[in-house]
Amino acid sequence: MMRYRTNLPFAMRFILSCLAFWALLAISAIFADSAIAQQATNENAEENTPDITAQGSEFQVVDKPASFIEGYAENYAFTDPKDRKTFLKLTEELRCPKCQNQNIADSDAPIAHDMRRKVYQLMREGKDESEVISWMKQRYGDFVHYQPPVNAATVWLWLVPILFAFAMLFMFIKRRKQVDDSDVEARLARAEELLKEE
Amino acid sequence: MKRLSWFLLPFILFLGLSVFLFKGLFSDPTERESEVLAEPFPAFKLPDLMDESIIYDNRIFDGEITLINVWGVWCITCAIELPYLTELSQQGIRFVGLYYDQDIDPDFGTKTINRVRSEVRETLGRYGNPFEFNIFDVYRDTALDLGVTGAPETFLVDRNGVIRVHHLGDVNPRVWAAKFQPVLDELQGQVEEG
Repeated sequence: MMRYRTNLPFAMRFILSCLAFWALLAISAIFADSAIAQQATNENAEENTPDITAQGSEFQVVDKPASFIEGYAENYAFTDPKDRKTFLKLTEELRCPKCQNQNIADSDAPIAHDMRRKVYQLMREGKDESEVISWMKQRYGDFVHYQPPVNAATVWLWLVPILFAFAMLFMFIKRRKQVDDSDVEARLARAEELLKEE
Repeated sequence: MKRLSWFLLPFILFLGLSVFLFKGLFSDPTERESEVLAEPFPAFKLPDLMDESIIYDNRIFDGEITLINVWGVWCITCAIELPYLTELSQQGIRFVGLYYDQDIDPDFGTKTINRVRSEVRETLGRYGNPFEFNIFDVYRDTALDLGVTGAPETFLVDRNGVIRVHHLGDVNPRVWAAKFQPVLDELQGQVEEG
């Protein structure tokens, strides 16, 4: 009983520091979404970049190889190294919807090829990182991004440990009081018994 | 009484966890909610697979319930579902193909549009042709807009051009009865009432 009581402040300190750490993590997760949005925008969306899709009303499809789509050889060229970095980051962060648990940079599924091409195309159109991510999310859901947003469903992943820690704290405090009371009473009773025996 | 509750609490927690994990055993990790359900069919302007001078757009949905089947000759499951789709089309269901070619493969990359057409004719001749016509998704942009992850996928589009069903994988009698028929009945019922 004595050892239990001396350990109690340590347990409380431990739980409290865990709580603080967790709160830091939770706060950083909640603000991560807005941080992405604030990231530097791609200013190099010049108009002189050729339109790789050349998507117009005319489709010159007769007697041309079906792979006439330019940029399909996966040689994605960037004039600005910053764009190249953004492209690599995006293809690593976006998740392949077909072969799950692979990002689109890693996956060889046809859909991953198409998504890489689309990321490139969107970047050439001048879209920044968060715009590309939201373009993908609009079509493939939150699933497509490896950083899930904090919403009504996912906030519990952060809150449950905090609530659990509070419950534990509450129980420790409550229990200590109980133990104290009964301990004293029991000791008194035992002491009295001993006295009587003598 | 208090002792009983201390025993019951972990027991109930354990039961809850067991049920949760047990359900997880039978859940399909590939199953996700489609983002295009109840949304209008994405705007498109694409040529006919067989004749590029014909250009289709969203007006193809006007006034008719349409099933859009995303397919390609390179897709084996598509060939397997073609006979059943043909059967359905003979019952008066309108099928329109959204065709895309998998030209990312070096083997396919050398394919000319004429070869694609002859292969499509051969495949449809062998397994049945349920399609009123085929739209050629040249750059696969419409497939991406639809959230297609691979072929085959089938969409039920109502008379107003709104997507009502998005099905991944083949359409067979079981899928048809469970997923498509109820929505189709509902849509057809609305017109009779109106």
